[in-house]
Amino acid sequence: MPLWLREQRWQQTLSAVYLSLPLRGARATPASIFCTERYLKVSIPPFLFEAILYAPIDDTNSTAKIENGNIFFTLYKKEPAMWDSLTLENVDKEKLQYLRENAVLKAHEKAKEEREAKKVMKEEHKKYALEATMKLEEAERKRIEDLKEKERQKVTKELELWRNQQKEADKYKSTQKERELHQEIGKLKERKNEKMNKTTIPNERTSKTKHKHTKGHGSCSMFSQNLKEEQLPAPRSAATIKVNFTPRVFPTALRESRVAEEEEWLHKQAEARRTISADLSELEDLKEEEKNPDWLKDKGNKMFAMGNYLAAVNAYNLALRLNNKLPLLYLNRAACHLKLRNLHKAIEDSSKALELLTPPVPDNESARVKAYVRRGTAFCQLELYTEGLQDYEAALKIDPKNKNIEKDAEKIRHLIQGTMQGS
Amino acid sequence: MSAAPGLERPQVVSHAQQSLSYTIFDCKWVPRSARVLCLGSAARGSGVVQLYELRAARLELLREIEKPKPIKCGTFGATSLQQRYLATGDFDGNLNIWNLEAPEIPVYSVKGHKEIINSIDGVGGLGIGEGAPEIVTGSRDGTVKVWDPRQKDTPVANMEPVQGESKRDCWTVAFGNAYNQEERVVCAGYDNGDIKLFDLKTMSLRWETNIKNGVCSVEFDRKDINMNKLVATSLEGKFHVFDMRTQHPTKGFASVSEKAQKSTIWQVRHLPQNRDIFMTSGGSGSLHLWKYEYPAQRSKKDSEGAEMGVAGSVSLLQNVTLSTQPISSLDWSPDKKGLCVCGAFDQTVRVLIVTKLNKI
Repeated sequence: MPLWLREQRWQQTLSAVYLSLPLRGARATPASIFCTERYLKVSIPPFLFEAILYAPIDDTNSTAKIENGNIFFTLYKKEPAMWDSLTLENVDKEKLQYLRENAVLKAHEKAKEEREAKKVMKEEHKKYALEATMKLEEAERKRIEDLKEKERQKVTKELELWRNQQKEADKYKSTQKERELHQEIGKLKERKNEKMNKTTIPNERTSKTKHKHTKGHGSCSMFSQNLKEEQLPAPRSAATIKVNFTPRVFPTALRESRVAEEEEWLHKQAEARRTISADLSELEDLKEEEKNPDWLKDKGNKMFAMGNYLAAVNAYNLALRLNNKLPLLYLNRAACHLKLRNLHKAIEDSSKALELLTPPVPDNESARVKAYVRRGTAFCQLELYTEGLQDYEAALKIDPKNKNIEKDAEKIRHLIQGTMQGS
Repeated sequence: MSAAPGLERPQVVSHAQQSLSYTIFDCKWVPRSARVLCLGSAARGSGVVQLYELRAARLELLREIEKPKPIKCGTFGATSLQQRYLATGDFDGNLNIWNLEAPEIPVYSVKGHKEIINSIDGVGGLGIGEGAPEIVTGSRDGTVKVWDPRQKDTPVANMEPVQGESKRDCWTVAFGNAYNQEERVVCAGYDNGDIKLFDLKTMSLRWETNIKNGVCSVEFDRKDINMNKLVATSLEGKFHVFDMRTQHPTKGFASVSEKAQKSTIWQVRHLPQNRDIFMTSGGSGSLHLWKYEYPAQRSKKDSEGAEMGVAGSVSLLQNVTLSTQPISSLDWSPDKKGLCVCGAFDQTVRVLIVTKLNKI
């Protein structure tokens, strides 16, 4: 049960009611006061004060002052009249309840309306702000445009001025030259004859320009040019300078080359030449030259040429033990195996060679073609014609102009078709 | 163009433009006048020379001359100011010098090269530089030849590949170092990135280097002084500025390079009135205006005590995009500071004004 506060004191004038309410030590905040047109409530738990007012008041303008443990209400009456009492007496419970609820509802509605009004205001403000900024930006833009326009016009004017000056200058010069010309003609008549003999090119020019009016310049130039001939140095004695162009490992300009891949290939080759396997124990018996993979490769090639395929294979084996990164060794050993009809070994070696021959660049084209052809041949001899054809076609792609490869590819295709029809 | 804070920077203002009915390869100002010369190739395979005059923000056609072969490049560099003869190189390798008042028959003509003359330059005329007037041409046949208009038929200097060497196209040539009667230097750029500097006084190769990408354009900042700076532009948007005052015996000239545009830089031209400002034109139709700043010390000693040059730095003053097609030719007017003409492959020639160059 709340504690009712009943020690209020009130005074009134025609238009206002002054109510003072002592709060028995309770602390009041603006939130604890609830006021509508006919209902006034102060609720500070556990204290409670409520009053059904005698007549409606203007609750928007009425004020409440919280001070020194009292609340002073200044309530402005809606109709100026003297009240008999502050509150309505003899109000039954139901009416009281009804009034209370009404009051709350009214307050709600009011709050809602206020909220809406606020929202609308906000929207309007926003719109206004936006328009204002837009105007400002427009103004700024216009200002810049104007500046640019002014520049342009100023410059155009200057240009016109300059051109007119040029014209005047030209005219002045031409009249001057005419005068000088007449003076010089007399003097230079004899010298002209001399000059005519010496210089040949000006001769052609004088006959053309003499009779033309080229702003008075043409005929003048004939004479002054002849004079100047003496002051200019003679034409240079002819000479040739030979030039060399910057060599490139790959003869294409930067924009045409595939530099990254080519660099990779070169790097790999350099690396390959440097690696030497560490199998030293058996190699100690060998002579110095036999430890050089290139020398061994050459030896192998010679053996192959002579027909001694086993010896060639041995040489390549040794070379590979020393350096297993040289693709050419695998390639040549594959050729030997082909001749020896070790077809599987041939396929293995060609595959290894192809592995080592990545990235595919123009430099290792011929090597790759050979690898594909040898592997293709091995496949065909094993009667794996489709694989063989694949390799031949790969070789053809790298080197489309090779007639032998084309012929062989055709043959294989026929063979495949023949077997398919047969089986 | 840049916004408000950048209005103190030079602005490139488009003053006039003219749509052409042919492909324009070169455009040049006629010295001491407000006239522009356009050289190009018509659709039917003949050469076109058109003379325009700049009048009140428009280009008016004064003369049109047709020639049998398309014309690639031209220069006024080797004639006197009174004569103003035009030297042209055409697609057939012919070098001709024309008197524009009587253009039917050339004043000088020679079939200088076997293939198209890509680039031409002249020195000794127009009151600039000293010494004999000479013209240099660079051609796709890999040779660079220097001609004297007083000597018929044979060049006075010929820079050709050694016998048996595969040739590279020469794309650009420029004269320089013509500060007295004897000294002269020719710089040539090739399509494999070679830049070669030939000394005509000693008839020898003075310096060469390779900048990896094909060289589209080379120019000295001034032809008539002791060679100071050389700008070389190349494909893929790079250009190099070489400091030519100090040559190191092995390292050559010091350089600074800048990557400007994603496309080829077709031309570089120095402002005649200020040799530290130059404009580059690019394959994306844009123009960039640059300023070179010298370093605190232009040369220093290296570990062996030899003098070595120090390159400065380049800063971008302004850039503007005018067209969607490459701007292949560019020329500053020698008479009015900031006035320039450029021709692009969209068959338009434009006259531009660059403002505020005085304040730099």
